Amino acid sequence: MNPGTREAAAASRLKDTIAAQFGRSLHIRTLDTGSCAVCEQEIRLLTAPHYDLNRLGFFFTPAPRHADLLLVTGPMVRAFDAAACKTYEAMPGPKIVVATGACALGGVYRKDPFVHGEVAEVLPVDVWIPGCPPSPLALLHGLGVAVGRLAEKTPGLTFVAKEAADPETGGEP
Amino acid sequence: MPLWFLRGLSRGVVTTRYPARPDASAATLPTPPAFRPRLLTRQVADRLVAVCPSNALSRQDDVLVFDIGACTCCGRCAQTAAEAAAGPASGAITSSGQFELAATSRETLLKQIPILGDAR
Repeated sequence: MNPGTREAAAASRLKDTIAAQFGRSLHIRTLDTGSCAVCEQEIRLLTAPHYDLNRLGFFFTPAPRHADLLLVTGPMVRAFDAAACKTYEAMPGPKIVVATGACALGGVYRKDPFVHGEVAEVLPVDVWIPGCPPSPLALLHGLGVAVGRLAEKTPGLTFVAKEAADPETGGEP
Repeated sequence: MPLWFLRGLSRGVVTTRYPARPDASAATLPTPPAFRPRLLTRQVADRLVAVCPSNALSRQDDVLVFDIGACTCCGRCAQTAAEAAAGPASGAITSSGQFELAATSRETLLKQIPILGDAR
């Protein structure tokens, strides 16, 4: 076994261990880097009776020092750089960064002197959750993917719809 | 026993069973578009790229690149396709119905949609 494979195997084992431990109890710190607050509204709904995030072992914490997962929303305004980096550094390892919403993923705002345009410019993002805003169900799925409890579905999706009945081709794809 | 507890029991549990079972409210969520390549022409694709408010669409020759991460599910592309084409392209875009879109790499959120409408 060459060193590269051994390292990869060790990394994969470590990842599994982290996922197994985070899968049972995980504390989330949210970080708003200039979002319009609709993502925050959906995140807040996670603790409402209908979704009841705590039943899955996820909890919100106000202190980054107690957090395992950083849930980042907004297009990463440059004025927030220092605070974002301090928050990330204050978290104990191992830690997960989740970018949430179209702004954080680089959709809505372009890079300019005021915003970075996406979270990945500043923080090492592990999981991306699309949506504007992502619904609480999408957030639950994203958190499940982040701790390795749910499988990601995007690689298998093509976003090509089945062809409608077409008179010229007779509905053949 | 407190009255609120009995009332709660009689009304049943409202909490979703989501990750274990599908949730009924998922059917009403706005979802990203799905494309029909045979109904897309370069002209229609360019109009879609121009109308997208969040730069989720771009065209590279005969491929429409769709960035799910940038999509805000606003539905303007579907509306434009329906208006633009008064004919064949009116059904070019439908709703995909997919909301579980979390990904562990940014590249998997970029989808290549072939444009086949010019070929025939």
